[in-house]
Amino acid sequence: MIQTILDALSYGGLYGLAALGIGLVFGVMRLVNFAHGELIAIGAYLLIVTIDLGLPISIGIAVTGTAILALLMEFSVFKRLRLAEPSVLLIASFGVSVFLQRLYEVIFGALPLSGQIAPWMTGVIEFGDTTITRGSVVTIGLALVLLGGMWFFIEKTTLGLQIRAASSDFHTARLLGVRSNRVIGAAFVFSGVLAAAVAFVLVTQRGSVDPLFGVNITILALVGTVIGGLGSLQGAALGGFAVGTTISLLNSFLGNYRIYTYTWLFILVIIVLLVRPGGLISNKAVKERV
Amino acid sequence: MSNDLLPSSQLPGVTRFQWQQLLGPIFVVVIVAYAASSVSASFAFLTEGTLALLVMVLALQVLIGNSGVLSFGQAAFAMVGGFASGLLTVPVRIKENVLDELWEPLKMVNMGIYPSLVIAVAIGAFLAFITGLFLMRLSGLAAGIATFALLMVADNVLFNWRLIGPGPQVMPQVPKFDFIDESIAIAVLTMFVVYLIGISRRGRLLRATREDALAARALGASIWRLRVLFFTVSGGIAALSGAMYAHHAGAVSARDFYLGFTFTTLAMLVIGGASSVWGAVVGTILVTAIGQVLLVFEGGVTLGSIEFTLPNGVRGLVIAAALVVILIWRPRGVTGGKEFRLPFLSRT
Repeated sequence: MIQTILDALSYGGLYGLAALGIGLVFGVMRLVNFAHGELIAIGAYLLIVTIDLGLPISIGIAVTGTAILALLMEFSVFKRLRLAEPSVLLIASFGVSVFLQRLYEVIFGALPLSGQIAPWMTGVIEFGDTTITRGSVVTIGLALVLLGGMWFFIEKTTLGLQIRAASSDFHTARLLGVRSNRVIGAAFVFSGVLAAAVAFVLVTQRGSVDPLFGVNITILALVGTVIGGLGSLQGAALGGFAVGTTISLLNSFLGNYRIYTYTWLFILVIIVLLVRPGGLISNKAVKERV
Repeated sequence: MSNDLLPSSQLPGVTRFQWQQLLGPIFVVVIVAYAASSVSASFAFLTEGTLALLVMVLALQVLIGNSGVLSFGQAAFAMVGGFASGLLTVPVRIKENVLDELWEPLKMVNMGIYPSLVIAVAIGAFLAFITGLFLMRLSGLAAGIATFALLMVADNVLFNWRLIGPGPQVMPQVPKFDFIDESIAIAVLTMFVVYLIGISRRGRLLRATREDALAARALGASIWRLRVLFFTVSGGIAALSGAMYAHHAGAVSARDFYLGFTFTTLAMLVIGGASSVWGAVVGTILVTAIGQVLLVFEGGVTLGSIEFTLPNGVRGLVIAAALVVILIWRPRGVTGGKEFRLPFLSRT
């Protein structure tokens, strides 16, 4: 029972991190980045390829590499589409996503690459007669630290203030002297760092990575972002958390009917978009007129 | 802000029916299809599959090109069409052996390919109408995500519900088309329909709503009704494409119409040019041709004394890169979103 709750919380934290990564970029430039999954995948690849150098170095390389790829996406593609409509950006990010998947296939092969990143994460901690997995505890801790760190950064620093300003009204923020390219670049870098954290947790759980590694969690985090309210950073994180915990709990309790979890989840997405385009959690004004 | 994917300034003549705009793309499709299929049996097979894709790209074009609403969800109707047409034609004996959890009446029914195509289109259009009533209230980004959600729901249901399909298995022994001519005829028919509905009064009204929603409403156009109509037509054509695919491959499964299929057809449309039938045709032929050339290279090619071998995955890489490059540098596609014009007949 305790394990079930911890699992739910750790899933929630993980999806919250992924959703926040998507929400950060969405906030500043109205881009729903399908290619966020490929940021997660590159993080996982870098971890597995460099793990022989020792875990701290490997993590350093993965975080840096993921952040660089995120910036590269921005400079090579999205920066050139500043004036395009959100739906065009959506197609472009779909294209970037498939491009990177195939690139990973070319570089690393289509078959899964396995490796032990942090074997101690799969162990258990015993409290009297209850045992819990270390992985779930570490994930919850990591999510708390990163979400706390992001909260501090967004609420207490100048750059964070600028990101918030740009999220709520990009054009006015620009007029008031917020340097848009810098803010967007920062949002991409942080979304890359968050993707690397998600990659670390996922790859320790699964022990392998393939070109489609990040697709599933990205789709579900996207659901969280939409439910939480596109454009609201707390909403995105909370929405992702809600989706993660819900899926985990449904998987524990629904038994054989859990195969239809996605159906209900995505019907919920459509209903939210129709009825409350601003999201369930967020009460902010609707950004895009629909 | 103008939607760059779709042209904001059509040439005045384009809204008027012109035979060259309709017959030009049809001639190109017929000639390319017969030429390619006469090369070899494997090319004929490829051509038949490409014609099914062309019909899907046309389904996307009739919706996205005319309304400007992005949909990632039309593959859901292709999935339904493929399943419907497959289930109606697979021999009863096979269904009893392989698909034992199937609903009894579905097990017992059996018919020819052509009636099954009609029913598949009807089911696809009906489901598109029902879902379109809701989804077509949205536009822009929200429509993109909601239609994506629709694809997820369709995949999840059809991948798991064995009462109405093969579930995660493959539905085998779907009767195949006998001749390439059948696929060509269906594709040509679809091009007629898509061009004529695009040029119709409602098509022009819908394009007007795309350019200036307020002005179009002032003319009395109901954006929602028009969009639902075109979403329904698009769903029916998508179902036709799925059914064609089933009768081409001789088997069908839910994952045939998932993200890869969605990406390929959307890339074809965007690369060719979303706002014209000609764009859909050019995009489909171009992407298929590029894919085939790269496929040959992936198998290894000897030029003089040097042997080239491209690693697997390069095909998808190049097509995805082409999509992104087109979006950045030529957002209206290689045709510029214009309909077919014979150079010496063109009036500007």
